Amino acid sequence: MNSRFAQWAILGLTLTFLIGPFLIIIAAALSAGNNLAFPPQGYSLKWVIKVFEIESFRKSFGVSMLLAVFGTLAALVLGVPAAYALTRYRIPGAEPVRLVLSAPIIVPGIIVGLALLRYLVIPTGVTIMLALFLAHTALVLPYAVRVVSASMENLRTDIEEAAMLLGCSRTGAFLRVVVPNLRGGILAAFILGFVTSFNQVPVSLFLSGPGVRTLPIDMIAYMEINYDPSVAALSALLAFMSMAIVFAAERFLGFSRYV
Amino acid sequence: MSDFVSLERLTLAYGKTVAVEAMDLGIRKGELLALLGPSGCGKTTTMRAIAGLLTPKSGTIQLDGREMTHVPPSKREVGLVFQSYALFPHLTVFENVAFGLRLRRASDLVARVEAVLGTVGLQDLADRAPAELSGGQQQRVALARSLVMKPKVLLLDEPLSNLDARLRLEMRLELQRVQWETGVTMVFVTHDQSEALALADRIVVMRDGRVEQLGTPEDIYSQPVSGFVADFVGFETIRRDPNGDGALAWRPGAVVLGTGPFAGVIRGVSFAGEKNEYVLDSDLGVIRADAPVGFPTHAPGEAVAFDLPRDAAVRLERFD
Repeated sequence: MNSRFAQWAILGLTLTFLIGPFLIIIAAALSAGNNLAFPPQGYSLKWVIKVFEIESFRKSFGVSMLLAVFGTLAALVLGVPAAYALTRYRIPGAEPVRLVLSAPIIVPGIIVGLALLRYLVIPTGVTIMLALFLAHTALVLPYAVRVVSASMENLRTDIEEAAMLLGCSRTGAFLRVVVPNLRGGILAAFILGFVTSFNQVPVSLFLSGPGVRTLPIDMIAYMEINYDPSVAALSALLAFMSMAIVFAAERFLGFSRYV
Repeated sequence: MSDFVSLERLTLAYGKTVAVEAMDLGIRKGELLALLGPSGCGKTTTMRAIAGLLTPKSGTIQLDGREMTHVPPSKREVGLVFQSYALFPHLTVFENVAFGLRLRRASDLVARVEAVLGTVGLQDLADRAPAELSGGQQQRVALARSLVMKPKVLLLDEPLSNLDARLRLEMRLELQRVQWETGVTMVFVTHDQSEALALADRIVVMRDGRVEQLGTPEDIYSQPVSGFVADFVGFETIRRDPNGDGALAWRPGAVVLGTGPFAGVIRGVSFAGEKNEYVLDSDLGVIRADAPVGFPTHAPGEAVAFDLPRDAAVRLERFD
């Protein structure tokens, strides 16, 4: 009886801890008051509407979207062949490569951001947008390689040979037979990469310039000046967007098999 | 008649490990040839080289009068049915079979795919995914996928080894029928001598990357050249010829029990329908002897005389 109660208590606390902040943000977003507060002062949708009227949010949302989509695509263009090579062949030096590919997960983002600013942006003068694109590509690459490698392991090697005997070149066999069978893994990697890139803070913190910053950084900047519920409204909207993506992925692809 | 496929001084290696050494082999048009040997003898490697999946270290491969040694697999017009079938999991049965024709943009694609699916008896399963098929059905898809391309040579890697006994017989008949109907030259790899004997027009027995013997099933079965081949085709007792440099070999049925100059002790016996199969320990080593039912029986532990009659032996050129 007692252990039963303890189990429910732990479950309840865990759920509260995981879901609580999200519920609070939703409530705060619907507030009719002028300050970010919980419990909310009355209910209205005005802050949700306000989010769409704030010019800098619209702009930084665009920046974040571009980065998430193209950074992840670039990471896949690099990562799928890398995963293929690492799983299919015994290459000398494969272990160091694997390690380097994992580095962006292990090295703290603050350090990556600072290093990119100090040793890429300042000396070479590349645009912030390009630096952000490169940084996000690198950050997403480990996920692309890992998730795609996992689904590559389940794929037989002889289907490529079969395709070649039926008239495909090596590259043709890769594109016609390997890639279609990895589509689940590739989509899963895309979603994981997209979310990782979109929510990325520490690296992007260092890489912001005139008129170019990602949405999370813009939200922090906004909050430093305006302490109104629009940030809560935006957070809630983003959370729903992420949930919709993951839900759709699970529904149509069985996303959880790959992650 | 000149050979349809000819391998000349073909040497194949994986890195520094030589798998096949200076092999010469001629394959005739329309024949069903078996590459027979234990694992590691180079039979699969030879087959992969004919398919173009392995570049020879030296030597040449010719197919239908054309030099093929460095032609990529996609341009060889050679089909290969993989041991694991290697079907494309993302495509239906129909699309698996149509794969090669689509690459060629064949205009009569649908008709040809349907015809070949009919040949292997899978017309009703055209819309299934490979994962929904049994092993035997998957193999038919793999066979159809190769046949539809009208290859000059069809290679089959251990075509019967993944099937159960009943399907094995069915597939054996199927392969013979397909060969008879299409006239395609077939080369199949097997480690199972009974498969090779039953199915092939000619058998190549391979050993350590070399051809040990090439001949018809009758040749191989009744006139093995060496102890190695004899052992492979069921000669259980092989001894050096005391009056020459060759060897003599006896099948279990040729060993006479109950009388003779040799002494043994019965280790075990098993009943096999028309005969009893004995295993004896003797000074000559372990001897297997079959005695027809009706002959006096012997119990384990019993001492028994036996004979290896010279006139019942097959002469081998080499002992090992």
